[in-house]
Amino acid sequence: MTVLPIRKRGRHSLLLLTALAAASALTVAACGSSSNTSSGAAKPTGSATSGSITWWASPITTTSPDPRAVLISAFEKQYPKIHVSMESAPTDTDTNRASLITTISGGSARPDVFMGDVIWPAQFGAHGLAVPLSKYLPSSYWSSFAPGLVKGATYKGQTYGAPFFEDQGFLYYRKDLLAKEHMSVPQTWQQLETEAVALKNKGLVKYGFVWQGASYEGLTCNFMEYLGSAGGSVLNSSLTKSTVDSAAGMKALSFMRSLITSGASPSAVTTFQEPQAMSTFATGQAAFLRNWDYGWSYANTASSPSKVVGKVGVAPLPAFQGQPYPGTSNIGGWNLYINPHSKNQAADLTFIKWMTSPAAQTILATRFSEIPTVQSVRSSSAVVKVNPVLATVPHTRLIPRPAQTPQYAKVSQALYTNINSVLAGSSSSSSGLSSASTSINSAVSNSGL
Amino acid sequence: MTTTTAATDIARPAPSRPGSGDVFRRKLARLGWGFSAPALIVIAAVTIFPIGYSIAMSVSHVDVSANGISLSGLTGSNYSVLIHSDLWRYALFFTVVYTVITVAVEVAIGTLIALVLERLAGGRGWMMALLLIPWSMITVINAELWGYIYNPTYGVLDDIFSRIGLGTPVVLGTPTPAIISLMVADIWKTTPFVAIIVLAGLVMLPHDLYEAAEVDGATGWTTFWRITFPLLRPTIALAVLFRVLQAFGLFDLPFVLTSGGPGHSTTSLAILGYDTIFNDLDFGPGAAVAVSTAVLVVIGCLVFLKVFRAQVGRDA
Repeated sequence: MTVLPIRKRGRHSLLLLTALAAASALTVAACGSSSNTSSGAAKPTGSATSGSITWWASPITTTSPDPRAVLISAFEKQYPKIHVSMESAPTDTDTNRASLITTISGGSARPDVFMGDVIWPAQFGAHGLAVPLSKYLPSSYWSSFAPGLVKGATYKGQTYGAPFFEDQGFLYYRKDLLAKEHMSVPQTWQQLETEAVALKNKGLVKYGFVWQGASYEGLTCNFMEYLGSAGGSVLNSSLTKSTVDSAAGMKALSFMRSLITSGASPSAVTTFQEPQAMSTFATGQAAFLRNWDYGWSYANTASSPSKVVGKVGVAPLPAFQGQPYPGTSNIGGWNLYINPHSKNQAADLTFIKWMTSPAAQTILATRFSEIPTVQSVRSSSAVVKVNPVLATVPHTRLIPRPAQTPQYAKVSQALYTNINSVLAGSSSSSSGLSSASTSINSAVSNSGL
Repeated sequence: MTTTTAATDIARPAPSRPGSGDVFRRKLARLGWGFSAPALIVIAAVTIFPIGYSIAMSVSHVDVSANGISLSGLTGSNYSVLIHSDLWRYALFFTVVYTVITVAVEVAIGTLIALVLERLAGGRGWMMALLLIPWSMITVINAELWGYIYNPTYGVLDDIFSRIGLGTPVVLGTPTPAIISLMVADIWKTTPFVAIIVLAGLVMLPHDLYEAAEVDGATGWTTFWRITFPLLRPTIALAVLFRVLQAFGLFDLPFVLTSGGPGHSTTSLAILGYDTIFNDLDFGPGAAVAVSTAVLVVIGCLVFLKVFRAQVGRDA
């Protein structure tokens, strides 16, 4: 039969193919490997006036003009001999971090300066993936920041990031809809839920309350706010044991799930990151939104895709019934870090110092509704006047994420994957919490996957 | 030996004496290796080294720092972490189920399409071009496009559902629909690939067998199961093998559409390996995920080939 020889030949090539394809599967694991490039023992001063640097930063807002471009051109005007080129980073903070980690551990000298999340200092510090800035910048520099920010950027006595802007969770609401229905701005989560359901049922909006419920870092931030309001915590004070499987954790999580089951929030909220939640609210499809500072400028800038310009109010997040108002807002925000392989660390420091100067911070606060990190700008009445978000800041209660542990990424992953599955209805609040707790314990004891 | 003599050697008709044929073949083989050497060195550098490095990482304590990655000691702990991890077991289960279902559906639909295409007299070229569009698009782009379809606020599916009064479907937000929607996107993309391979096999089948079947009065159904399918086995095996290898490395679709969620429901082995290495910086266990995945897929394919060959042997 003629098939026989073909089959025999085919068998050999099939085996070869198997081997080759399996090989290609394996190469993925070796992606992170690299040659050794040790950073020179340069002594940057931070007063360099020439050079060229690459700044890696994710989009700060999605409105135009791009705040990053505005800041770069203002910087280059002041330092004409320093050229800054921007590399736009992913908006998802975990993808952003993964890209940076491979780049830096791979020995790349680019980017020189990177805008990194406030939760990164422990991991980056522990692995030497960022330059300890406190070695080069004097304490007078660090004392210009609002309290708490520098401590958050410090790991084992060294400060790795210069606070660039601060983020907090806020409640954005539709003034027009609340006025129409004679409702007040919700002060408790329960009131928010009731009003959201009512507005939705009346057909005034498609959805009641939108927030970030996808399986990613943002869900940890959202959860921290309910947990803080309920009086709970994720880790004990020595960061060695999970404390999330508690009555407070239960209260927080079952309320989040009830937002979906009661119809206050759409089931699709379990796939929402910031852009989805923001665009749902800005296109007029939701009555309430939990988002960061930039929500204000996004919703109220006529040039943005917003259909709700002038109809939006901002308030601190609600508390649980019986707890003092306001509830807790999670602290987010971004620091500026230096790549240890950067060839021009002196110019990097000049750039960072300028970005955290009153001039740059005023631009961020007045034009892009970000919360400045520099105390003098934050309390300037001229700035507060044009930034209603900033006027709300003194009234918020803040809750940080337990980011002081180098295992934070795993702790957060344990939280958001389990919470996400509870929100999606595939596990109960109690089993979700106990499974999160088990994973967190194995993360902080550095065992398990 | 120079190239010119080699060329004349090749042009010369096969030598009649048995001994000289072996010498000739050996010389030719040596020359072949010589010509392939540069390419082989490149391949070795980009595949064999990384593979070796991955295996080394998977059995070492790995430390990552700004100066790269350093390995120390020999340990089995990376693998024991895997075996004791519910998540790894789930990812393995999910990947296997996903692979089996998608490949089975793709082969079934792909074969059907190929049978139709083979009978298509005119316009076969156009049909094939159209069919190949999903296959030729980059998976990440595909995934983004499906993301627009599945999007719960402005998605195509949402729009269709609300127009016919079925409310808002939750596609990616709940486990089972999320898994099914990934499968749909995968099947849409890769069925044409299977169809093309099967079609190539179909057009090569000997016509005399079909004529004989017709003479014997066999029905279309019998002809397919008795002639076409057995003869197509090697081709289908090739398609299955290609698809299994690719489906087992499922990454792009869940990365873009679900990031492995909701919960862990769409966490494939590749997603798990990525998360472990690049999010947690656990290079050792991450490498163990990669190595064990490769070993499992090789075993799976070998078993498949073995079973398949046994079947062909029985039929013959």
